[in-house]
Amino acid sequence: MKTSDLGVRMTLTQILKMLVACILVITFILVSASAYRRHRTISSLAKLTDATSSIVTQLAVDQLAHVDETGKKYSYALDMVRLENLKFESEIGGENFEFQISISYQGSENRRFGPEPPENSTNCSLIVACSVWSNNRFQLAKLGVIAWRV
Amino acid sequence: MARLKVEGVADILSMAFMFILLVFGAVLINAYSLRPLRAATDRQLELKCEYTYEALETSWVEPYTISFLRAAAENIVLNNPTVPGPYLHSAMENALDYLSPPGYEISSTLTSDGGTLTFNENKAPSSKQFVRSGTVSIMGAGGENVVVQVVIKLFSVS
Repeated sequence: MKTSDLGVRMTLTQILKMLVACILVITFILVSASAYRRHRTISSLAKLTDATSSIVTQLAVDQLAHVDETGKKYSYALDMVRLENLKFESEIGGENFEFQISISYQGSENRRFGPEPPENSTNCSLIVACSVWSNNRFQLAKLGVIAWRV
Repeated sequence: MARLKVEGVADILSMAFMFILLVFGAVLINAYSLRPLRAATDRQLELKCEYTYEALETSWVEPYTISFLRAAAENIVLNNPTVPGPYLHSAMENALDYLSPPGYEISSTLTSDGGTLTFNENKAPSSKQFVRSGTVSIMGAGGENVVVQVVIKLFSVS
């Protein structure tokens, strides 16, 4: 083999190696960037999920909880009358959320309260069991909340 | 020449190793990236289990004025409970079916010295289940306070 042939082959080999190394580095950067974006999206979804749970708890334990004549508060028992003064927005962890509520009894239709969720925004829904004070009875019901960022 | 060949093989091996590392890393990142969302979903299911317990503790059995859990506890402790056994069984199982989230089932078990009462016992829990336990106090026939253990299980059905 001549010295000039060997030089050309070495240069070609070096170029190929450099090319493969560059492809590896670019792929690594792309994978890292994609993973970071995915992580941010998933963290945001997880925060929205937790915020929805928090809104449900605020409603069931405090804002909509039934209070009897003696002033005793019944957590997890909702009072429909208290829906009249309810603000369908909440601030959790420095972020503002709006929400829609749905309440349904066994064998009855869903009743919705509050603004409709926007179509172009991510929202999270959570339905939990609860009790509703209605017709002087504690009735088994379901409380649904759809929350989204403002 | 022989040295050159050995160096070439070493370079190819190191690149192949880097490539394998890259693929392995990407798979690992994607597999673990969903963990926070799964954890948040599990927290919601735990919350649903907690609310089911509270709802059964508060809501009354139609047309009586006694809660589901108290009525079930009475059925274990008292000879003449407020809600008759067969009626309570039907009402409780209807309530549990109504409250079950899609793809999940709820069962409840009440235990005391007087016996055990289980609702939705035929539904076998899977490996993933959420449990909420508590107690209900009932005045026994002799005036003594009887504590009944309550366990509510929310589990996925496969």
